[in-house]
Amino acid sequence: MLSGLGIAAVTLGSFVTFAPNRLAAGAPYYLWEAPLAPAASATGALCGLALLSFVQKAGARAVAAVILSAMLLWAGLAGAGGLAAHLMESAPRAARVSPGPAFWLLSGVALFAAAHAAQRGSFSLLTRAVIGAALGAGFFLMAAAGQFDNLSIAREFAHHSSAFASALLRHIALAGAAVLLALTAGAPLTVLILKKTAAAGPVFAALGVIQSMPSIALFGVLIAPLSKLSESLPLLHDLGIGGTGPAPAVLALTLYALLPLVRGFYTGFSQVSLGVKEAAAGIGFGGWRMLLDVELPLALPALLSGLRVVTVQAIGLAAVAALIGAGGLGTFIFQGIGQYALDLVLIGAIPIILLALLVNLVFELLLRAARRHL
Amino acid sequence: MIEFREVSKSFGGVAAVLDFSLAVEKGSLFVLVGPSGSGKSTVMRMINAMVLPDKGEILVGGRDVRQRQPEALRRSIGYVIQSIGLFPHWTAAANILAVPRLLKWSEAQCAARLEALTALLRIDPSLLTRYPAELSGGQQQRISIARALAADPAIVLMDEPFSSLDPVSRAALQEELRALHARSGKTIVFVTHDMGEALGLATHMGVMKDGRLIQKGAPEAILENPAESFVRDFLGGHALELRALDVMKVRTLVKCGRGDAGEAISADASLKAALSRMLATRHSSLPVVDESGQRIGKIELNDIVTRRHGR
Repeated sequence: MLSGLGIAAVTLGSFVTFAPNRLAAGAPYYLWEAPLAPAASATGALCGLALLSFVQKAGARAVAAVILSAMLLWAGLAGAGGLAAHLMESAPRAARVSPGPAFWLLSGVALFAAAHAAQRGSFSLLTRAVIGAALGAGFFLMAAAGQFDNLSIAREFAHHSSAFASALLRHIALAGAAVLLALTAGAPLTVLILKKTAAAGPVFAALGVIQSMPSIALFGVLIAPLSKLSESLPLLHDLGIGGTGPAPAVLALTLYALLPLVRGFYTGFSQVSLGVKEAAAGIGFGGWRMLLDVELPLALPALLSGLRVVTVQAIGLAAVAALIGAGGLGTFIFQGIGQYALDLVLIGAIPIILLALLVNLVFELLLRAARRHL
Repeated sequence: MIEFREVSKSFGGVAAVLDFSLAVEKGSLFVLVGPSGSGKSTVMRMINAMVLPDKGEILVGGRDVRQRQPEALRRSIGYVIQSIGLFPHWTAAANILAVPRLLKWSEAQCAARLEALTALLRIDPSLLTRYPAELSGGQQQRISIARALAADPAIVLMDEPFSSLDPVSRAALQEELRALHARSGKTIVFVTHDMGEALGLATHMGVMKDGRLIQKGAPEAILENPAESFVRDFLGGHALELRALDVMKVRTLVKCGRGDAGEAISADASLKAALSRMLATRHSSLPVVDESGQRIGKIELNDIVTRRHGR
């Protein structure tokens, strides 16, 4: 089914589009116009994937599917790069070759087939990580070899490469700072509502209100009080805290993180078996010993789940922070939208997605470890 | 060893324990029995200050529990609960050594104690490295009892420890507990709603209803003279006579003579066991032997019957 979709995409959709400049509409070029080797291997991989459904042995099928999808992905990348190089040979500098729908669908099919095979073959998490790393390594090797230099997205990237690293770091810093701040604020808040259950309702209600505010509105709402604060307190001003910039962004991201974090922590601690707590108290575990030896390890899976949701969410939301001048990968997205440059949008969006996936994987590994005996 | 002096406790205006006075002697296996909600668990939980009394005082080893630091008091008293409450993230060995480690025993002391406990409770050493989820209910409760005994406390509290086990594991652990008590001489307070279990285990027992202690004494004495109709009903109504056979020993009815042919029965066996043997072998009398296997007389069916109805 999936490979059928791939074949349809290749025959009907444009593989890359060629446009005389960034703004003009492009003319389509198809996969079979790409250099022979990658085009043939991509087609072969697609057919192979289609034939795989007739293989009976599940284990062998999964391994073959992973290999074929890697081939498909790499061939697609190489083909797009090669075709772009060929087209650009006789074109003006302003001309653009961008990956077309067929390319994206083909890559999507490859990635989905690999993920699906890993799922079906019940590969271990480590194996999945290795597969992911291998796919990524192939991409980076080709990129380093200059295979993509003539693709518009790569040229756009080359334009912004100096800004990219700092934007990436800024993005991680924004999300990381927000998660750390939310942890520092969320932990005592959790303790409070665990000790005084009456406070749980109002706390969750307040956090719920914040959560339901649209992110741009929350950023906006924070601008006025923070600029006032910065004006009246020179120390804050000197520290670079003002109405716009990273400070309100981190603050807003922290506020957003609080509800899922506190809710996760609260359920985590309330779910610790009463029998175990009773027994622990009865044999003389009290206060800190109880917390560190019993409650924390037993609540850990729920705590990590909460933290995972919050971190992934912060990475996504940090993109919006670019709107109030906080920087980060969102800068490329909004610049791209402003200039009608889809490639620039992708330079911001793809790393954000990858970052979120990576964080998710790391938390998945931590969760496995924490759940081992529970 | 443990003394309650006119203790009362209520939760949210509802009295759980009323005017409760009781002395548990050192070395006894005291069973508190009563229906659910009779306050027996609350009484037990007041001994290790998990619940504090509203009125009255509780002395453990002569000292008021309220004057002791609660954690220190609890570490000096063994505690086993129905839901077992082992730490799921610790191995069986780590669970057993929880209190010794809280008390900062040396590793050598811990290792020695672990060995002694596994021998005492006949725990298969290969279980020690397993996690609770990898053990059966009976094995878990055995580990939990070992944990309660780990720091060699003078008192052990057991709150319905066997109620969630299957009948076979339950019977085995009851037997184990009787033997353990006989060997160790510890003071054990045991809470149950199962009268059969209470009669079978107790050296002394107390019957509770609606937060009050209705009757206390040796199991035989309570069987002979139920204080009121509630106790009689709780003992099992018509089946009360059968319960009595469970508690009374063959020794009390031995008389001279040889008895019918057939396998001899021990003087320490219950009358129920003797009756069961008679029914199975279709004999109306059995030879009786003492612990050393020496024949000491016989027991007759008629005596078992008249014993209960003749007076």
